[in-house]
Amino acid sequence: MSNNSNDTGTGKESAPGDWTTDSPMVSNPAESTYVESQIIMTTVRAVTPFSLTYGLFLMFHGADSPGGSFQGGAIIAATVLMIAFAFGVAPTREWLRNRTVVALAAGGTAAFALVGLVPMAFGDSFLAHPLFNEEFGIKTKWGLEAIEVGGVAPIVAGVLVGLFFVLAAGMFRDGDTTEPRTDGGAANHNRTDQPQTDDEGSPTASTGTEAQTDDTGMPAEDTTAGTGGDR
Amino acid sequence: MTELFAVVLFVFVLVTALATATLRDVLGVVVVFAAYSLGMALFYAFLLAPDVAMTEAAIGAGVTTLLLLLTLAKTVRTTPDQWLERPNLPALAVFGALFVVLVATVVEFPAVGEPGVMWDNPGVTQYYIENAYEDTGVENAVTAVLAGYRGFDTFGEAVVVFSAGIASLIVLRQVVFTRE
Amino acid sequence: MLETLANRYTYILFALLVVVGLYMVVASSNLVKKIIGLNIFQTGLFLFFVTTAFVDGGRSPVIPKEADAGAAFASPLPQVLVLTAIVVGVALTAVALALVIRIYDAYGTLEEETLREVRTDE
Repeated sequence: MSNNSNDTGTGKESAPGDWTTDSPMVSNPAESTYVESQIIMTTVRAVTPFSLTYGLFLMFHGADSPGGSFQGGAIIAATVLMIAFAFGVAPTREWLRNRTVVALAAGGTAAFALVGLVPMAFGDSFLAHPLFNEEFGIKTKWGLEAIEVGGVAPIVAGVLVGLFFVLAAGMFRDGDTTEPRTDGGAANHNRTDQPQTDDEGSPTASTGTEAQTDDTGMPAEDTTAGTGGDR
Repeated sequence: MTELFAVVLFVFVLVTALATATLRDVLGVVVVFAAYSLGMALFYAFLLAPDVAMTEAAIGAGVTTLLLLLTLAKTVRTTPDQWLERPNLPALAVFGALFVVLVATVVEFPAVGEPGVMWDNPGVTQYYIENAYEDTGVENAVTAVLAGYRGFDTFGEAVVVFSAGIASLIVLRQVVFTRE
Repeated sequence: MLETLANRYTYILFALLVVVGLYMVVASSNLVKKIIGLNIFQTGLFLFFVTTAFVDGGRSPVIPKEADAGAAFASPLPQVLVLTAIVVGVALTAVALALVIRIYDAYGTLEEETLREVRTDE
């Protein structure tokens, strides 16, 4: 019984970085655990618009009813995760590229900080919302809405989706010559071919400085500082 | 009616928590943990905390369960031969003693939901309940406190979540953008 | 005695969840189960906080504009604490799972005793 989850996207015969051409049925079946299921795909197709709308509704209406940016951001992130489980991680990453996810997360933090710094420019303290009413005539409520909708919700949604993609990509492997882990784990602690060879216990995966877009993760570059001593 | 609902929820949460601790198969534990999160979300809604209930349902039963399933897919799931775990008797003794000590402390607390007790600090709580709409223009007192009165804590928490994303990128040694 | 315990049922549930969570952290041999135990421990604590906000017969803290001053509302302050704590908890779980993936990648196993033997062999 296989887990009904995603394909790992690790590269096989396709070109490095070209994880978009991986079909769900990859050539190395032990690596991929994506199972196509009509029931789940159809259900997710039906439910996703409502779920996304509900997440947006909670986010925007959090001021007057139970809800808010945490709930809305988490529901949007959970919807994207649901899509990734139904259709595979690689198609989902093609839809939501790294740029989008990082822009959401970093942009949310920057927006929050900027909205907080505006009162400081006028001499008041950080995040002093009544200042918007005094200086610009904007009601205090819109300061709260700005940091909720423009700040916290993108951060929560972006980071949760980003964490999912990072975990789905797994450990960064240089050259990607992994043999699949078929050992079942607990039985083989006497193996002599353990991948670690340096004393820190990390795999000697990063050997060089070639700018290789590896398709195991987000398009990766192994810089010189990225080898195994950077803890 | 509400008594019956409270009893049913209590029993459900208890049973799923104990099942999480005693099952041997990791996939079974993850699934029971999702049910436990749902039970806790309903319990929070029963205790008049709808914001907390929605967050727990979306994050506990949603995101955490999916991340756990993803980790199981990326690592290993050894199919066990027995249903239940082997109990660790010294740990059971120690934690049984801890449970008895906690319950002995608990009987000193006021009853659940009793108004006018030590938690219900009238000076602080009543101020927020009365003045949340006038100060911030927002009806949901939780949002008013979260983004208005205590906005700096929310900023800190958003930065913590952001750093968790960065930390997981570092742990798995991935770089996000190529230099090209 | 039973009456007092029945009146404090959420606190007893909190004590039980804390103990179950800690037991899982200590006694499970699988790393993923330890993380799940940590999550159960966290939800037990959140239950305690939310209980301190609860007022019997009150309403949830969405206060309408024309509120009558005598109505009892649940306190919003502990709920704010719990909201933040839930989101921080999921961030913590995600980083812990990233570490688990890395450990599996380095050692090929997720059982605690095996990891301990392997690391003492090195």
